[in-house]
Amino acid sequence: MRKVMYLEFERCIGCRACQAACRECGGHDAKERNYVEYVDFFENRQTYPMLCMQCKDPACARVCPANAIQITEEGVVLSAMEEKCIGCRNCTFGCPFGIPKFDFEENKMYKCDMCYDRTQHEIAPMCASVCPSDAIRFIDHDEMMDLRRRRTQMNLIEGKKPSENNKWDYVPEFFGVYSD
Amino acid sequence: MSQLEKSFYSKSSMYSFIVVVILFMSMWIGTGQFSHMDWMLFGYMVSSFIFFIGMTVRLTSWIMRPATHEVIKRSIQKMKSKNSQKRNGKAIFKTLIDNIILQKYIFKRGVYRGIQHWLIAWGCIGSLAITFGLTLGWMHFKLVDASTYQMVVFNIPTIQMAADGWLAQMFFEGLNITASMLLIGLAMAIIRRIRDKDLKVTQRAEFDLFPLYLLLAVTLTGLFLTVSYKLLGGWMHPQLALIHQITVVVFLVYFPFGKLVHLPMRPMAVSVPMNYQETPGVDTRDCSGCGELYSNDEQIEDVKAILGAQAFDLKNDEGDWLADYCPACRRKLRVMSQLNLPKGAGKAAPVQTNNGIHMPGFGRKRSEDFYQPAHSGKEEL
Repeated sequence: MRKVMYLEFERCIGCRACQAACRECGGHDAKERNYVEYVDFFENRQTYPMLCMQCKDPACARVCPANAIQITEEGVVLSAMEEKCIGCRNCTFGCPFGIPKFDFEENKMYKCDMCYDRTQHEIAPMCASVCPSDAIRFIDHDEMMDLRRRRTQMNLIEGKKPSENNKWDYVPEFFGVYSD
Repeated sequence: MSQLEKSFYSKSSMYSFIVVVILFMSMWIGTGQFSHMDWMLFGYMVSSFIFFIGMTVRLTSWIMRPATHEVIKRSIQKMKSKNSQKRNGKAIFKTLIDNIILQKYIFKRGVYRGIQHWLIAWGCIGSLAITFGLTLGWMHFKLVDASTYQMVVFNIPTIQMAADGWLAQMFFEGLNITASMLLIGLAMAIIRRIRDKDLKVTQRAEFDLFPLYLLLAVTLTGLFLTVSYKLLGGWMHPQLALIHQITVVVFLVYFPFGKLVHLPMRPMAVSVPMNYQETPGVDTRDCSGCGELYSNDEQIEDVKAILGAQAFDLKNDEGDWLADYCPACRRKLRVMSQLNLPKGAGKAAPVQTNNGIHMPGFGRKRSEDFYQPAHSGKEEL
């Protein structure tokens, strides 16, 4: 059974329970590693949660001059190893998603490790286990594929109304959202 | 240089050869054409050579990584430039005192960890300095008269001291002092590894625990040698000496390839204030999205170069790079593109559906002609 993280940004209600839970995770030293931010504060109060993508070929590890960012067998990208990290912050500038955080006091980088102590035993990470609106979910790979398919089908409904003699108007406008 | 490089199998073999030649020459000078060799330490000497070769291979392959190479290149450029001499000196001095000698940042992670690390680090550095000094014959002690010793460094006679004076005692007990420091630090580290459950999540036996127990073995067997000849009248001394030698040989051969290699890599921390911070802790580059200060031109240039060298294409459709944005703007860019609202798509509008049931999600505002009757445009054809 393969479990994956599944995010639906628009489901976020901005309660920040995920951040509170993240602070509680073992080894996180009471500092949250995820983000909850406003899409456009002047327009509405919509927020989105943001976690690390756990890239297969992480840019943060590639730009690290000390070779401090390691990847576990399961594919989780860990925080910089404390004995190697020289505190240059290259990872925060290399990451295309702006995920790594930096602790200037202790001179080390820290980032979302998907609660490795939990997820390696297929227990949901702290943020996913507390999210009340299912914006962050830790689900089976098959379930995730199902949800994605359903999203695409819904996009079909959202698409332009079909007109006579023109079936191509069926092509949905929202196809890009979670498609392959 | 490239001509020289071609005559070797690889870069690391070239540097290893140079290191071995330098070590051999230093031994030749230090021992006065090999007349003061300490043959008791022969095993240590051979393993010291293996240590230096291993270290050269390890550090060469490390510096050849694109990221490390780029940062080192920038450091060398800064070292050469006349404008930043003052800044370089300040950076090196501050890093040496704060990060390497006092290790302040580890004390900030916890006083217990700070004391533990400081004791292990300086115990190791002290022991290694004494070991290499003696085994490679860089220094030895000479009896000038019946009660005076003289230290000879690289075959140059230096300070003289009374054979039973405190200075002489300090030198003779040097390894015992560093070993005691190590013993305390290692005990603290092992207790921390046993008690702290958070550490167990990512700790690996071969990476985190093996060097700890190996160091403990070296320390204990070394200290027991002293106990043997001081308190037990030399009981089992030859056997104990052999066991100690075996542990040290394993330690020296392991050193360049395990956790402990962070010791020679750590000084690269100097590149942070030297390369990237005109005033430490102050950012000077502004984000091309929100305009907030988030980094420094030189660092972003380096990051782009490193990513480019490894075929990462993090260029936006607009032609700017993701590295030009601050982390917060990058997070937003990603969310907006996932929500099908790339830059310039206008304000987010609620998703509209045919059946009027509200769907979760953001959509683009539809153009007015969408609301025209479906076949109105077609009839004119």
